[in-house]
Parts: sequence; structure tokens; C-alpha cells
Amino acid sequence: MVATVSSLDAGVCCADVRIEFPTAAGPLRVLKGVDFHAPAGSLTMLVGPSGCGKTTLISIIAGLLRGASGSVRVFDHDVSALSASELVMFRLKNVGFIFQQYNLLAGLSAAENAAVPLVAQGMSWPDATDRSHALLERLGMGPHAGKLPRQLSGGQQQRVAIARALVHEPRLLLCDEPTAALDGTAGRAVMELLKQLAVRPDRAAVVVTHDPRVYAYADLVVHMEDGLVSKTQDGASAAAAQHH
Amino acid sequence: MIRIAFKILLHDTAKYLALVMGIAFATLLISQQAAIFHSVLLSSTREILDATDSDIWVMKPSVETLDQSDPMAELAVSRVRSVPGVAWAVPYYQAIAQMRTPDGRSKSVQVVGIDDSSMAAAPRTLLIGALRDLLQPDAVLIDAAGFRTIFPDAPLEPGMVVEIGQRRARIVGISLVGPSWTGLPRIHARRSLAVEMARETINPVSYVLAKARTDETAAMVARRISTITGLRALTRDEFAADTKNWILKYSGVAENFGITILMGVVIGVAIVGQTFYMFSVENLRQFAALKAIGVSNRRILNMIGAQALFVSLVGYSVGIGCASLFFALFSPQLTGGLRGMFMDPWIFGGSGVFIVMVTLLACFVSVRRVLTVDPALVFRS
Repeated sequence: MVATVSSLDAGVCCADVRIEFPTAAGPLRVLKGVDFHAPAGSLTMLVGPSGCGKTTLISIIAGLLRGASGSVRVFDHDVSALSASELVMFRLKNVGFIFQQYNLLAGLSAAENAAVPLVAQGMSWPDATDRSHALLERLGMGPHAGKLPRQLSGGQQQRVAIARALVHEPRLLLCDEPTAALDGTAGRAVMELLKQLAVRPDRAAVVVTHDPRVYAYADLVVHMEDGLVSKTQDGASAAAAQHH
Repeated sequence: MIRIAFKILLHDTAKYLALVMGIAFATLLISQQAAIFHSVLLSSTREILDATDSDIWVMKPSVETLDQSDPMAELAVSRVRSVPGVAWAVPYYQAIAQMRTPDGRSKSVQVVGIDDSSMAAAPRTLLIGALRDLLQPDAVLIDAAGFRTIFPDAPLEPGMVVEIGQRRARIVGISLVGPSWTGLPRIHARRSLAVEMARETINPVSYVLAKARTDETAAMVARRISTITGLRALTRDEFAADTKNWILKYSGVAENFGITILMGVVIGVAIVGQTFYMFSVENLRQFAALKAIGVSNRRILNMIGAQALFVSLVGYSVGIGCASLFFALFSPQLTGGLRGMFMDPWIFGGSGVFIVMVTLLACFVSVRRVLTVDPALVFRS
């Protein structure tokens, strides 16, 4: 089944997004007119071979990469029209990130790491850590809340990263290869948590992945190839296609 | 976010200690050397500044610095006394002479001759004896450090009889004076005795010390003395400043201490800059993650500024503590080249301000990479 990209009133909507980077051999066109929709209330996976432009696209959606042409809307924000300082505030309030390398702060405990976005928003340290602690409890990390990242396994670190991404209730969750550094069991556990916590009617979640084993957790799977969206499927169809 | 900055900083104990020790070392080097330089410079003018009963020094025009006195005839005192506005004027004599100890050893000493009747410019602190003892025949005072240098094994007490310039001299008291520029033992005697010790017969006056009348300033009277007598007359502060300037210009101490202080600055900046740079590079992904989350460059700059301020204050405290301990141990000693040396409050505070500024500068230069790092770096494995 092919999902339609029609709803522009919610979630993430990208239209005709193009970007190129200068190289010694001339401009390299990375995105060549991408139309992409990640509806609110769904978990959308962005898949495709390395170099097809997935990471570039989510960097543009997150406002980390500027200079693209076309339109990028995240809920009611026209990301492509925001200034650099507005983008910083936009990310702080609206975007939660989960990275492949976790990128936790080594000197902070799990609860303190998860509290960083709240502290950055101006919340007091005790209130922020109380809230992050509660979220870590929900993620099954309560006993490990006081541990430093180096005292945690990869799966546990990724749960802390999930807590950090969700603690400030962002409307958009962007995940870059969240299961790449994990074994199958830990990877599935992380995806189940994401599905359980990240998907809400007022929130959109976009997951970049190379891992076909997790397609089943997606509502939509958007395939990219050579800087363009080549195909959009629902998660079940994509998972089934992989099995065949 | 400042709390997060401190946690990031303190987590990397090795680098934190390297930063603190680098700053402490630089502080120690800078403050200690600056304090010694200041004390040495002060020692060159100590006799001038300590002679607080007079406020004008009169000398031959050729004299540039205290130790370069060009003796004058006795008449110079009368000429100064005759100038309107001079309340009183007394002769002051100084010379280098040879002391022969009872066991036959010979030592160079600095003989200071103070006015026989007024005792103006006499040492202010006597450890043993009294100033009136100088009125006894052949009586001299010797400074404690000089006594220890010449008689290392003898008890610190008066009574010793020596020869100075083939003139019998009896030590009647022991004074406490700071080290002089020459470092020679200092002998105070009545001027009439001092000139005999130095075997000076024609020109027994090195300086004329004068006091301005209360209704006129010392500067005004000094100018008048110069105009009327043709001698060089300076206020106490002017002569002290001239002496300091001469030392700075001709002795090379400023260059020597300056190089050491500069080394402290360079070493401090190099260690702190290098360590902060490594610290920044190693935490680049973490800073990129913070930027991706939505922490602005300004807040990251504040975090790094707080880290730099914290390590600079801790490092400064350690360094200035070591420097203060150094002076606390050596300054009160009666002998040794470091006796009487101290750290001026301006050096204490000024080195702190300087160290903090240098540390902040080194950090901000080294963290340019953090501020320019692409937050999208977090998406790269």
C-alpha cells in the first residue's frame, strides 16, 4: 500500500526540498526535490542506502542544516523561514533527538543527562532532575538513574537518550539509527519503547534506520534513493516485503 | 547550565588538575617574582623612605641615585639652612668602609653617619640597645642581618669591638633594617665618627636632609633650595622615584624579572590554552549535542567562561597561597637575601585579575572550535 502525502496541517511536511554542497569536483546535489510527510501521531521511518540523503533531510527538518530550497514545515512552524537564533529556540522547544552514538554528557548521571533539555529551557535543577527521574522510572531505568554513562550498557544508554529526547515533551522526535549500536534484543526493546512513548496524536516521530528488522514498528516507511523519495509504504507492508 | 559546565569540567579529573596546576604555577611565578622585584626595587629606596623626619634631600647636581652620592663640604648644610622656608637641615653621610673583626677578618660595610645632635634618619627599630647609646664614644649600631653575616656563630648581643677604617668601634646596639640595594652590612654611627671611619676629611656631607616649614610644601621649598644654592633638592618621594628609575634603567633587574614573569605568563597561557583546547576537542560531540538540543552559542560560551573562571580562581588560590607561604616563611627571617621581602596588596590582587583575564582569553581562543562546530556532527557516526 502506498501512503499519500496530502495532509499539510500537521506533522512534518517537506515540499521540493533541494540542497547541494560545493566539492572540488563541482556542486554535489544531495537532495534533488524531496517531498516528505511524517504525519502527527505516527512513527515514520526514513530508509535507504548510505549517501541517499536521509541524514541530510532530518538535519534540514531539525533546523541543523540551512541553505536548502523548498518548504519545510514542522507542525505550525515554517522551519525554512526561521533565523539561526529562532532555529535554536525552535529545536529547544519542539525537537527531541536520539542519536546513534547516544552523545550523553560523560560527567552527568543518567537522570542529569535526561534533564538537560529542561535545564536548558530554564527549569530549576531539582525540578528538572525530578522529572527526568520519573521518566527514567517509566523506561525501567529507575535503579540506574544515578549512574554515569560509562557505567551503563549500550541499551541502557540509549534509554537515557530516549528520556532526554522526550523529557521536555517535544512535538517532533528525530532518531538517527537508534538501534545501530545495539544487539537485536536491545534494539527491539528500544523500538518498543519508542513506539510506546513517542507516538502520540500531537507528536510526530521520524526514525532514520538501516535496520529492516524494525520496519514492523513503523506506521510509514519512506524509501529514499539518490536524493529523492522513491517509495512510501506502511510499516507492515515494508516488513513483509523484507521477509520475502 | 553552569552546573552542567562544572560537572563536565570536574568529571575529567586529569585535565582539571592539569589546568589548576598550570594556572597555580603561572600565578606562583608571576606573583612571587613580581613581589621580589618590587621588594628589591623598594630596598634601593628604603633609606630614603625610612627617613621620615625629613622631607627634602639635597645633593650635588651630579647625583642620580642614593648610592652614587658625591660628598659635599660642610658649608652645604649652612647654605640649605639659609633658604627661606627651611625649618631645619642636617648633614647625612654614607660611605663604604672596611671592617676588621677581632679575629682579623676584613669585611666591607656600609657606614651611615647621622646628625650627631638630632639623630635624624636613625634606624627606626632597634632589636637591642637604644639610640642614645650612640652618644657613647666609638659607639655604632649594626643591622641584625649584617651581624649574622659577619659573626655567624656569635650570640646576637652588643659589646663586640671592631675596627672600621682603622678606627675603633664598639657595637652598642642591633638594628632591624631591610636589605639595602648593595646588600652590605649597615653600620649606623654619629656622623662625626662615620667620616673618621671612612677617612673623609674634606667633604663630610653626602646629603643634606631638610624639613620644610609647615606653611609651605616640601616641593616648593625644594625648588627654592635648588634655585638659591645651585644644589639638587628633591622631595623624599621624588628622590625615591629617581633612584628607582635609575635602577630600572641601568641595573637590568627589570629585564631579568620581566623575562621570568613573561615566562610565567607564556607557560600559563600555553598550558591552559593547550589543555582547554584538548578538553574542547575531546568534548566536541558533547557540545555539538548540546547545540543540536537547542543550547545557543552564547550559553555555551557562558558555560565555558564559567569553567575558565572556576579553574582560574582555584588555580590562582593555590598559586597565591604558595607564594604567600613562601614570603611568610622567608620574610620574617633576620638574615638571608629574602628577609623583609613581602607581597604588596596590589601584586596580590593584580596578579589575580591578570591570571583570570589570561585564563579567560586562553580558553576563548581555544574554544573557537566549539563555537563553530556543526551541530549536525551528532548525526555522523
